Amino acid sequence: MTRRESALATARRGWILTTVALVGLVGVYVRALAFTPVERVQGPAQKIFYIHAPAAWAALLAFLVTGGLSLVYLWLRDRKLDTIAASSAEVGVAFGVVMLTTGPIWGKPIWGTWWSWDARLTSTLFVFLLFIGYLVLRGAIVDPEMRARYSAVLGILALVLVPFIHMTVYLFRTLHPEPIVMKPSTPSLPGVMLTTLLSSMLVFTVLYIGFLMQRYALSILRDVREEEAERGVS
Amino acid sequence: MEYPDNGAYMVAAYIVTAVVVLCYSVWLRYRVRKDR
Repeated sequence: MTRRESALATARRGWILTTVALVGLVGVYVRALAFTPVERVQGPAQKIFYIHAPAAWAALLAFLVTGGLSLVYLWLRDRKLDTIAASSAEVGVAFGVVMLTTGPIWGKPIWGTWWSWDARLTSTLFVFLLFIGYLVLRGAIVDPEMRARYSAVLGILALVLVPFIHMTVYLFRTLHPEPIVMKPSTPSLPGVMLTTLLSSMLVFTVLYIGFLMQRYALSILRDVREEEAERGVS
Repeated sequence: MEYPDNGAYMVAAYIVTAVVVLCYSVWLRYRVRKDR
């Protein structure tokens, strides 16, 4: 099987996984909006939680994968690792957009403000902008070796910030609530709400994997095309 | 039971999420098909 055929097969599998996740997302919408009770204090706006938290999970997972693979890339110098890291960064930015738009939409009715420059929100925005910078940097460097090395360093710097984002609610006074699932003790959420949240997290994780496979395949297809063009010139 | 009247924010957040996810899915698919 050629690289092109292999990439197309990966893209096809990624597309199938994405389609399954999109159907799952419809299921999450139905479950969250129609079959999950309204929270007494916050009202219907609390249901934003079922998409905001999973989107944040998927974004930070994507950034962790980018940072982790960047670290391994500098060690092994395997081009494949750099390609997956870059693909994960782009997918992470897409989920980051969901995280950073649904957060303020939830914050306005509950906190009375769209945004607060506290540690949690500011550090999350900072990491998001760092990954935008990561993608811009990659677009600006032509030499693949140099591009991979420079962006790996940026990816590792961002990796350090991801655990910091998680800890900000413990380290600083912030409007953002503490985690209710990803914490050492048992989740403090009624069973029906927890099931909705976990279903949504599963769907967003599958969506991330589907997107990542397609984006990775796209990078390989572009590499193959560039190699063919170079061979054609020489 | 009385709840705060903030359902519009919930609807807006769900619409924004659907739009972003669907747009990214379509854009990704389009680029793969273009570069195949």
